[in-house]
This record gives sequence, C-alpha cells and structure tokens, in this order.
Amino acid sequence: MMLDLITQQAQKKLWEQFNNCLTSEVAEEFLQTLLNLMMIVFVVNYDYRRNIKNFEGRYQFCSKDGQVTIGAVFHNGRMEVIKKMIERPNITITFRDGKTLLNFIISPRQDILGSMLRHDVVTDGNLNYLYKFGFMAKQLQLMMPQLPQ
Amino acid sequence: MTKITLDDISLKDFTLGNLPRLQELRRLSFARKPEICIERARYVTRYLRDKDDPTDSPEVRQARKVNYFLQRKRPVFHDHNLLAGSTTSKALGAPLFPEFFALTLWPELDTVSTRAKNPQKLTPDEARELNLEIFPYWMDKNVLELTRKRISNTESAQSLKLFESLVFFIAAKAGCISHAVPAYEAMLELGLSGLIDMASVREAAAFLLASDEGDRQADFYRAVQISLQGIIQYAEHLADEAVTLAGVADDPEVRQEFLDMAKVCQQVPAGPATTFREAVNAIWICQVGIHAENINMAMSPGRLDQILYPYYKRDMEAGRLDIGRAIELIGCLWLKIADNVTMVPEASEEMFGGAGTVPAITLGGVDADGEDAVNDLTYIMLRVTELLCIRDPNVNARYDYEKNSSDYCRRVSEVILNTKAVPAFFNDHANITALTGQGESIEHARDYAVIGCVELASSGRDYPASSSIMLNLAAPLEMALFCGKRPITGEEQIGPSTPDPATLNSFEEFWEVFKTQLDWLIEKAIELNEHMGAVHQQMMPSPLLSAFFEGPLDKGKDLVQGGSLYNSSGATHIAFADVVDSLNAIEQTVFIDKKYRFAELLQMVKADFAGAEGEKMRLYLKNRAPKYGTEHPLARKNARNIVGHLFNLYQSHTNYRGGLYRPAYWTMTNHAGLGKITGALPHGRKSGELFASGITPVSGAAPELTACLNAVAELGGECVPGCWALNIKYSPETDVEKMTERFAQTIEAYFRSGGQQVQFNIMTYEMLLDAKKHPEKYPELMVRVSGYSAYFKDLNELMKDELITRTMYDLANGKSVAYLPENGGKQ
Repeated sequence: MMLDLITQQAQKKLWEQFNNCLTSEVAEEFLQTLLNLMMIVFVVNYDYRRNIKNFEGRYQFCSKDGQVTIGAVFHNGRMEVIKKMIERPNITITFRDGKTLLNFIISPRQDILGSMLRHDVVTDGNLNYLYKFGFMAKQLQLMMPQLPQ
Repeated sequence: MTKITLDDISLKDFTLGNLPRLQELRRLSFARKPEICIERARYVTRYLRDKDDPTDSPEVRQARKVNYFLQRKRPVFHDHNLLAGSTTSKALGAPLFPEFFALTLWPELDTVSTRAKNPQKLTPDEARELNLEIFPYWMDKNVLELTRKRISNTESAQSLKLFESLVFFIAAKAGCISHAVPAYEAMLELGLSGLIDMASVREAAAFLLASDEGDRQADFYRAVQISLQGIIQYAEHLADEAVTLAGVADDPEVRQEFLDMAKVCQQVPAGPATTFREAVNAIWICQVGIHAENINMAMSPGRLDQILYPYYKRDMEAGRLDIGRAIELIGCLWLKIADNVTMVPEASEEMFGGAGTVPAITLGGVDADGEDAVNDLTYIMLRVTELLCIRDPNVNARYDYEKNSSDYCRRVSEVILNTKAVPAFFNDHANITALTGQGESIEHARDYAVIGCVELASSGRDYPASSSIMLNLAAPLEMALFCGKRPITGEEQIGPSTPDPATLNSFEEFWEVFKTQLDWLIEKAIELNEHMGAVHQQMMPSPLLSAFFEGPLDKGKDLVQGGSLYNSSGATHIAFADVVDSLNAIEQTVFIDKKYRFAELLQMVKADFAGAEGEKMRLYLKNRAPKYGTEHPLARKNARNIVGHLFNLYQSHTNYRGGLYRPAYWTMTNHAGLGKITGALPHGRKSGELFASGITPVSGAAPELTACLNAVAELGGECVPGCWALNIKYSPETDVEKMTERFAQTIEAYFRSGGQQVQFNIMTYEMLLDAKKHPEKYPELMVRVSGYSAYFKDLNELMKDELITRTMYDLANGKSVAYLPENGGKQ
C-alpha cells in the first residue's frame, strides 16, 4: 500500500517535470526526467512494458560540454539507467543541450532533420535504436495524464 | 512512313466531360488521402523470420521472399479503373520497405496519421504490428546497418560518418537502387510463362556446366522463375477476385467490366498480350510485381508510346479499338501509376516533402534507326497528360529537331502551357551523344528513356543506379575556403588540410585547392557507394526486375551483379550554380580586380556579411561579380571547368558492376534543405539562403533568357551523361497561340545550342505567393520542382519559397521580370 502511494507520488512528480520540459523553454533536466519516467512506466504499465520484451539495447547519451553522461540499458525486459559511459552502446547520441535533445526526440515542434543538419545532435551507431527510443518517448508524451494547472 | 493518322493531333474533342470514367477517377485521385500499407513489410518479414533458408543463394532467397509476398498480396479493386492490379492494398498507398528506411517511421507510429504536414494514415492495429512484430526483426538487418557492420573498424567508416551527417553527400543506396526502365517487349510477346520457360532451359544448361559459375547461373535462372511465378499467381488472384465481384455486382455494366478484367488477367501477363487492353494491363501488373521486389522510387515504365504502338495499331486496324477507348485505357494506366506514394517520415519532409514516386514515361523522339518515332499513341498520351494534369507519372517528351515535326514540338509546348508544368522536354541530339559517349551503341542510345527525374538510360539495357550519390558541391567549396573544415561541423578537420586561401597568389591555386577537397569528398562518396553495392548484392538482388532487362538472361547474372548490358552509377550535384558564382566572385574580385583581399572576403563570409561593411561587400559581390547564366566569359569558363572536372573524375572510377560513374545535375528538393543549413558563400549569398535548383542559374542572376539558355546549353552533351534539370519559369500570356509559337522556337534554339533538358512552370510570382497564402484556392496546382512534379500545397515552406523566387521570364521580350515581394509579386 505504502509502496503504491510512493510510486504514484513519484509518477505524479515525474509527469509534472516531464510536462514542464515539454512546455517551458527550460529543458536541461529533460533527459533524466524522460529516463526516470520511462523506468517507472515500464514497471506500472503492461502495454508499455511490451516495448522492451526481448529487447536488448544500449544507449549512450552525452552532452557536448561533457556535463551529462548517461547510459540507458535495456536487458531481459528491464531498463537500467547508468550515470556514466557504458560499454558497447548500440548508439551514442551527443547533444548540444537538453533543449536540442528534446527538440530532436519529442518536441511538438520536433525538428529531427534540422537538429542533425545543424549538428545540434550528432549520432554514432545504429539509428534504428534511436527510432525505437523515439517511439517509446512519444508514447509517454501521448500517455501524459491531464495535470492540474 | 508517317505513323500519324489522327485528324487532330491535339484531340481536343476528347474532354473529361465526355470521358466520365476518367473524370471520376481523377476526382478520386485528388480526394484520396495517403495511407501506409504494411502488407509487403508483414509478409517479407514473416518469410525471412520463419521460412528463409540462408544456404540458398542471395538471388533465390530474394525470389522466394518476393514470391511469398505476391502469393499473399491482396487482390483489390478500389474503383472503376479498367485495369486490374494495385501497388498496395490501399487506394493511395505508401508501401513499407523495411530493407531500407521503413524504420524511420517508428517514432511516428502513433502520430503519422494526424501530423500537420502530409499525414499518412496508419491504423492502430497496423502501428502495433509494426512496433511489436515487424520493426524489431529489422533492427540490425537493413542495408544501412549491414553496411555499418561491413565497414566499422575500417578506414571506410569515415565515409559512412560523412553520409550520416547529411551535409556532405547522400548515399542513396541506403534507401534504394530502383531507378530503372525495364523492357516490356519480350514479356508482351512471350508472356511471363515464355520467359519462365526460357529461364528454365537456361537453368538446365547452366547446371550441366558442373562448375561454380554454372551453379551460380543456374541459381539465378531458378530465382527468375520463382519471382515471375509470383506475378502470375498475383494475376490469377486478381482474376478470381474479379469473377467474385462480378458475381455480386447488381449493375450489368459493372458486372461485365469485372468479367472483362478477369478475362484479361487470365491471359496476361502469364501469356502473350493479344490486344491493346491486355498489353496495357500486362505492363501494369508487371509494374506492381516489380514493386514487390524493389522500392517504389523512379521505377519508370519508359517509352510506352513505342512499346504499346503495335498493339494499338493492330486493334485500331481490326476495328477492336477506337480513340476514345484508347484514351480511356491510357488514362486508367496513368491513374494506376499514381496509386502509390513514398512513406516520408516527418523528419524528411524538409528534404523530400511533396515528392511523388517519379515513375517516368517517355514520349516521342527517334527510333533505333534514327527516324521519327512519334505516332498516334504519342498524341493520345499527350492528351491524357493534358486532361489529367496529375503529379505522377512524370511525363517527358523527347524531341529531335531534325526528325520530329514542328507540329509535334508545338503540341508538346501547348500541353506544357495548358498544364503549366508538364511534360519536360528532352533533346535527342544531346542526350544520344551523351549515351554514345558512354560506350552505348547508337541504336541503343537512340532508344533512351528517362528515369525518375531526368536521368537517361537505354530502355531495358542500362541499369544506371542513377541516384547513387547526391553530392553537395557547397561542402568542398567551404572546405576549400576553411582549410578542410566547414562552419557547420565546427573545428573538426573533415577534408585534407589545404592552405589558407589568404596565402594563395592566384585563382588557379585556389582552383587546385577546391579540386583537392572536391576530389577527396567524391572519393569518399564512391567508396561508400561501392560498399553499399556489395551489401545489395548479398541482400537485395533483383531477379524479378532482371527478367525485364536485356543481358541478365543471356549472362545468367542478376542486375546487381552486373547482368545488364550497361552498368553505370549516377552521381548528381547540388548547389552547382552557387558554387560557379562563388568561384566567379573569387576570381574576379580577389584576383583580377583586387577589389578585396581573400582574407577580407573570408572574414565577411564567416560573419555572414554582417554590418554595414559586410552588406556593402555582399551587394558588390551579388551585383558586380560575373554570373553563371550570362555570357560573361569567366562565368562560362568556370561552369565548363567544374562540369569537365567532374566528368573526368567520375569516369575514372569503375563501379562494383563493372560500369562507370556518370555525373548529373538535378536536385529534387535538396537544394532547399541544404541551402538552409549552409553558411554564407562568396557570391553574396547569405547564410541559409536556398541554393539554385538543378543546373539552373541562381535566381535573379540571369536577366536575359537567351543568354541564360545558351550558358546552360553549352555545358551539355558528352560531359553530362546523367543529364540535368533546368528550371525555367515563364509568365503566362493572354495570346496563347503566339506564346506557343515562341515557346516552341525557344526550345528549338536551346536544343540546337546543346541543351539536354528543360522543364517549365508557367506561372507568376503573384500567383505562387497567393497559392502559398491560400492553399485552399489551389488544391490541384502542379509545379515542376527539380526533375519531378509536385502539388504546390504539399511542398514544405522552403520549397514553396524557392519556387516563388525562381527567376520569371517574359517570353515576349526575353527579359527576366523583377521579383518584388513587397508588392505581393505584382509588377
């Protein structure tokens, strides 16, 4: 019971943070928020969890200024976030800042090609992993509950 | 002997008003919204996952995969088109090819149906199937990823990185080869069963050789039979479905139509075509079959007025056909060809938004003996093009100013003026010269057809992979200006570390620096193309398409292995005019006039001509430096030098199929997207301004029409074997007859000077500005982009702006009309 309550509160907070990232100009926390939210929704939502059944994927996210280094590893139907460089990533995504990453992955004013052409975001590796990640991120966006103003 | 028996070559008595079937089908074609069709993706994935035998040869594996899909492909009849068969299960379908870029749709599975720009409908069930079953299978298996595996940890990895950065070149084999003109004559004469019998005999003979080569050939012949059998089965299913639908039809006329279609599909394409209608439907069903194997990009039916003429003539002479019915059947074929679009992810809208699938049809010109090939069917097809005025097929008119009649030239001109955009005009003299220069026999060269946008190929003999490389010429120019770096990629050393231009003493030295960077980049693009070609040989052979070519069935070799008679690779170039003008500006203002030091110019280019001094310099460069598209000798020399250098460089490379690389100059919509992200250039172009399209001079740079056409024309012929797209915009005139006359005369003069191709938009700045502002007022406005047609409303904002600002000429006085956006484009 207590665990449910904590999970619900954590979810609510994450949804609020996620919504803030999408609606405000401040998106520095976007990546961490997105990954945390993903992890929690995988736990509580069976349909969403099906996305990572039998999925093996290793993502490395880095900011160009070196301030952010986060790995996301999908293995055995689970997701793990690692705050350091990971080995053998399927794809490495290097971004100028949180806003450019948000714009690349999920923004309603999404500009994937523009981000790549301007080199706001540089990728190294198998882009299909990025496309899958983009789908899962967008699903979260579509699942976002109506939040109180 | 004349093949023209028509009393009126314009066929003006035939209108949509008295062709109600075509009128209705045309209405439907505009009303339909694109839908993504997952049928092919579903079945090829299931086949590979559950049935594939990796010990089979690549050709046999591919054939079995295609056959598996064709056997299961749903026979659907969406409307009252007289032809059976459809590219996809949807009325206007975007098929998915997971072997290439289908997975780019993944992020959009839940939103593609509702996105703001060019939505493509996808049902939730289909989206779920793609997400959970189809796409996961392909994560590591498409052409791009197999190429990555092949070259990671080798020196070639850099070429892949250059491609993936998107700002240097595009390696189009990651998305397709396609781009071909099959030869349908043998299929029509023998039927697919005849081709299968031929392959079967040759399979046995090859097997008896009892050698590795014999076994390889036997496998190929086996693969041809398996894949063609798939088309036959699909046609049988169409016949069965038509019989079923006839059985439930209440209207006796409709019932008869279904029975007629069933009868056609019971005869062709398995057996020889015995009537015009059967021939038309056989070609269409084979086009559908080709798209089961190869992606729907520029698969061009070719010279249909020549291929279908014997069937038309025979039926007309026998009284089995009349002109109205022939127009109706050809109209039905045009609308069938337009039944599919490409899947374009939102991310690519900027580059490719609004493009069709560009299946090109080629009319007129000369025959293999060099004689006038224009016939009644040519005029019927022109009339259908004029009446329907639809984006696809991409209709092109060949013209030999010595052999074809002036009536023909005027009629083509009239159709262009009436449709405002199509067809494009191609010069037989220059294009046949270009192809014989590539070692093609004169008879084969004379039988050329247009592929996709503008590319040339001897029909069914030439497998040119014509969009293998799309190279951004502004990239090596920037690298020459900045010692091998580009502003957009920052401090990264991309190309060779060439000397700072400020230290150079002559333009010739800078030209050498530019060539160093250009050659380096081209080598990288070719290197990647070769690797991707090798991946195609393993993963995407084309035994089905090979059956419709001269060569493969004789050599026992698939097209992707070099089975065709001619085997080139095409490389097209973006920002040609902008780069020529930049070289002109550097040579004239820095080295001849010494108006600016190179260091000053570089500083201002880097600063995007900011400030009063920058603007002063920019205006000087823009208005005073020589311009491509004029008669200025320096501009003409630099244009010729680039074209000549590119020709020599590409021709020194032999591709993985044993053919040469052929340079070309067409840009689709890339000149807009790449222009947007490229910094300022020395000819006074500010950062982000769009590049000129194709081989067209920079907007506003060529004030005199005649000089402009001459400047372009003198580049034509042998050095541009891949052809070019020249865009010319004319303001419409009230006296259409006079304009038609002048139009035709201008074409002839341009062609006599050597011009290879030209395409037109007959519209004003004002009209295009209004169309941008009020798209609802222009739902059917068709425009020429750079080699293909598009509906203006579907284009992205950049391309709309590019079309609006293109130089407009007044044909009556041959002068450009100034663009005055502040007046809403009005003069």
